[in-house]
Amino acid sequence: MDTVFKGEHLFPGHLGQFFIILAFGSALFSTISYFFATTNKNPLDRSWHLMGRIGFMANSVSVVGIGVCLFYIIYNNLFEYHYAWAHSSKTLPVYYIISSYWEGQEGSFWLWAFWQAVLGNVLLWKARSWENPVMTVVGLSQTLLTSMLIGVELLGNRVGSSPFILLRQAIEAPIFKSSEYLQFIKDGNGLNPLLQNYWMVIHPPTLFLGFASMIIPFAYAIAGLWTKNYKGWVQPAISYSLFSVMVLGTGIIMGSFWAYESLNFNGFWAWDPVENASVIPWLTLIAAVHVLIVYKNTGHAYFTATFLVLISFILVLYASFLTRSGILGETSVHAFTDLGMFWHLVVDVIIFLGIAVTLVVLRWKDLPISKKDEETYSREFWMFVGAVFLGLSCFHLVIVTSIPVWNAMFGTKLAPPTEPIRFYNVFQSGFAFVITLLAGFTQFLKYKKTDTTRFFITSIIYFVFAALVTALIVYVTGIYHNHWIFILVVLGAVYSVLANAKILADVLKGKVKLAGSAVAHIGFGLLLIGAVIAAGTSKVVSVNNSGMVEVAGFDKVANVRENIMLYKNEPVSMGGYKVTYIGDSLAMPNHYFKVDYKRLDAQGKITEEFVLKPNAQANAKMGLVATPDTKHYLFHDLYTHVTAAPIKGEESMQGGAAHEETNDDKNYDPPVVHEVAIGDTIRYRDGLIVLKALDKDAKVQNIPLAQNDISVGAKLEIITHGITYKSEPVFMIKGGSGFDFARKVDDAGLKLRFSKIIPQNNKVEITVYQQPESKKAYIVMKAIDFPYINFFWSGTIIMVIGFLLSIFRRNKELKAI
Amino acid sequence: MKKGSVFGLIVIAIAIAIIISSYSNTSTYATFKEAKDSQAELHVVGHLDKKKQLFYDPAKDANYFSFFMTDSKGQECKVVFTGTKPQDFERSEQIVLTGQMTGSEFHASKILMKCPSKYTQDKLDEKEYKAKPATI
Repeated sequence: MDTVFKGEHLFPGHLGQFFIILAFGSALFSTISYFFATTNKNPLDRSWHLMGRIGFMANSVSVVGIGVCLFYIIYNNLFEYHYAWAHSSKTLPVYYIISSYWEGQEGSFWLWAFWQAVLGNVLLWKARSWENPVMTVVGLSQTLLTSMLIGVELLGNRVGSSPFILLRQAIEAPIFKSSEYLQFIKDGNGLNPLLQNYWMVIHPPTLFLGFASMIIPFAYAIAGLWTKNYKGWVQPAISYSLFSVMVLGTGIIMGSFWAYESLNFNGFWAWDPVENASVIPWLTLIAAVHVLIVYKNTGHAYFTATFLVLISFILVLYASFLTRSGILGETSVHAFTDLGMFWHLVVDVIIFLGIAVTLVVLRWKDLPISKKDEETYSREFWMFVGAVFLGLSCFHLVIVTSIPVWNAMFGTKLAPPTEPIRFYNVFQSGFAFVITLLAGFTQFLKYKKTDTTRFFITSIIYFVFAALVTALIVYVTGIYHNHWIFILVVLGAVYSVLANAKILADVLKGKVKLAGSAVAHIGFGLLLIGAVIAAGTSKVVSVNNSGMVEVAGFDKVANVRENIMLYKNEPVSMGGYKVTYIGDSLAMPNHYFKVDYKRLDAQGKITEEFVLKPNAQANAKMGLVATPDTKHYLFHDLYTHVTAAPIKGEESMQGGAAHEETNDDKNYDPPVVHEVAIGDTIRYRDGLIVLKALDKDAKVQNIPLAQNDISVGAKLEIITHGITYKSEPVFMIKGGSGFDFARKVDDAGLKLRFSKIIPQNNKVEITVYQQPESKKAYIVMKAIDFPYINFFWSGTIIMVIGFLLSIFRRNKELKAI
Repeated sequence: MKKGSVFGLIVIAIAIAIIISSYSNTSTYATFKEAKDSQAELHVVGHLDKKKQLFYDPAKDANYFSFFMTDSKGQECKVVFTGTKPQDFERSEQIVLTGQMTGSEFHASKILMKCPSKYTQDKLDEKEYKAKPATI
């Protein structure tokens, strides 16, 4: 007999599971109906079409239903569900519940399906004559996506992974034999602190909207091949591709901003396989946009345009296979682990690849491939060349990122390059140079035929000008210390910016419709300039070369010592600043460390002072998850990042004053006893202690004094590292016995006792306990300076504006047809 | 010859160049013995020897961390990492080091570790630690 478990809320899970099955079933139904609606020869029979629509709408409702059930479960902390237990906790703020959706694979598949449902509804409304074939493809994609969520056993294999699986089903543990096991599950595991960042609330939805929207150009291309309407799909595909490129690009840069802010990737871009996986389809789709425009304007490059559109979506699926199947394993920190969906994901890629290849082969003879060669001095030829180079850049990323795939396929044991960042930077810079150069001079060419003399004069004038500007930039930023290829990238990018600025200037004279591309190219150029300079000249400020104790064998380590040790209240000079760790504070769940920065001029006067508060998660369970704090200047950012520190666990937070009286002498060096008179000075390792006066009326809290009792306080002044503290330990005679009340000066690492009065020679005895170096409060931190990063961000914004303008323009053309 | 074909050939040439240079830039997963023999920078997979001491004392040097690792062939070696001790290092189940042999010590420039996740105890998560920041 099954055990009846107490306190479980099974209804939301059952409802959610029902919605999953319904979503899968209705998507499949919609796909089949749309398929027959497309192949149906009788234009008056609209029944298949209507059934397809109903199926898709039912799917949309179910997908929303899944989301609502999941939200209900997480919001109400129903930890009997594995998803809630694994990704949330009671203390998680409501707005981060959203983030917990994409900490797990199931939630991120749901997000993808959700966006695809939304976009599908846009198509129901907008696609008109294209609806049937296009929605067949979208429906198929939706069917496969929802199948990832099913999580039922089929022929001994689990198909998909459901977010509604119960904790006791997911994990085997003796505790689940008890019918009251829920009493012991007090809280969930909580959200990974790295995801508790506002960028993590908006970055994944944007990225997934970008991924999801790439089905639309793909679906149009397939529909065109399928229904033999070879030309009609191009115009809508341009608009939707521009949308995808814009959204996906924004999403990628948001992720980059998050990486930059949290320093989890040591900068804004680290060529992590997960990052690469998101750029790969972006590169091919941006190439596709260009070639589609070439085809629309000249009739050339039809096959290339189709190929790029098709491959882009297949690369989206391939990227999701890379990041979700666990295959990246040893090469990436950020990929999901396998949920047993390896082959499911492979099948997904193969189905769409198979459809695309089959249709292209079947229709090959009919394709409107132009037999003429393009003119050398025509815009279309060079746009085409540019697109091919974008494709090559993508090819390079795919080849290297897929190393674990090659290993799995061929049984090799290749490892990724040992210095991946440098490796990718150098390679991709070569492509970036060619591409930006093309994005520059192609602007001076016209479609079909151009006057060559004029073209050469203009492009050379601009090139010389760009070279001058580049020389200036290179000189000012010091980028010439790096690999020469980065200078070329800056040159190309500057050229691209200038050439497009000229086009933009022409726009003001009336050629308004060209504004979009010019603005987008300018943005892209600025983005590259910012990226190259920031990455190329960022430097660690906290280089440690003072006060180190040599460790045996240490000098053999060639690396620069980038972490610096700061004891509390002991200033250290670092890269033009005087840096002091001045204290810490707790604001659950974060442990903030205050670091004071001072810039002094020659006379020692303070010219600038600010406090940065890098933090670390104080939750003992999670260890040190550090978040940096940044001082933003217009032309550079200064990062401070705590890399090691004694983290206060939960116990010590509740501790505090109550533990004051316990014997903690073991935390100090052996005490040193000093006999002093008023005005005498005691020297200790870090400074001086002066006995200022004796206070005859010293009071100790909660201890009333009787007639004959005596209580004396020693007014002490402690001067250490230029800071003065006051302290007053107390000596007391009560009921004939002597007591003393020690006082601590935590900031100076001291404990002081007034241990005896020696009336004979008018002296008192002060016992000094000082903390050993290792027990003193300290942090180990790293400071990094990123110059000119604002070019990168502003370039992004300008590029997005350019895309928007282009979308408006292409939409107008769409309506004009 | 048509311009298109010339361009096509150039593209194919570049593609081949990409494959070859990428291949020559890959490193290999190796053992400590191979690392010692080759003296090249490569990846070593293994696990932490939890019986031996982990050394990290920020008071002495905040950039020196050493431990002992056993590679896949069972050979043990002292590893030195120029940086801070990664959190939860003791709990790691598998470590991937990037670096090279210097004398009898392996000097790691990057540590990638897998440890039982604190968030989902039935799964593994990974963390990566680099000795150097992102530089071009």
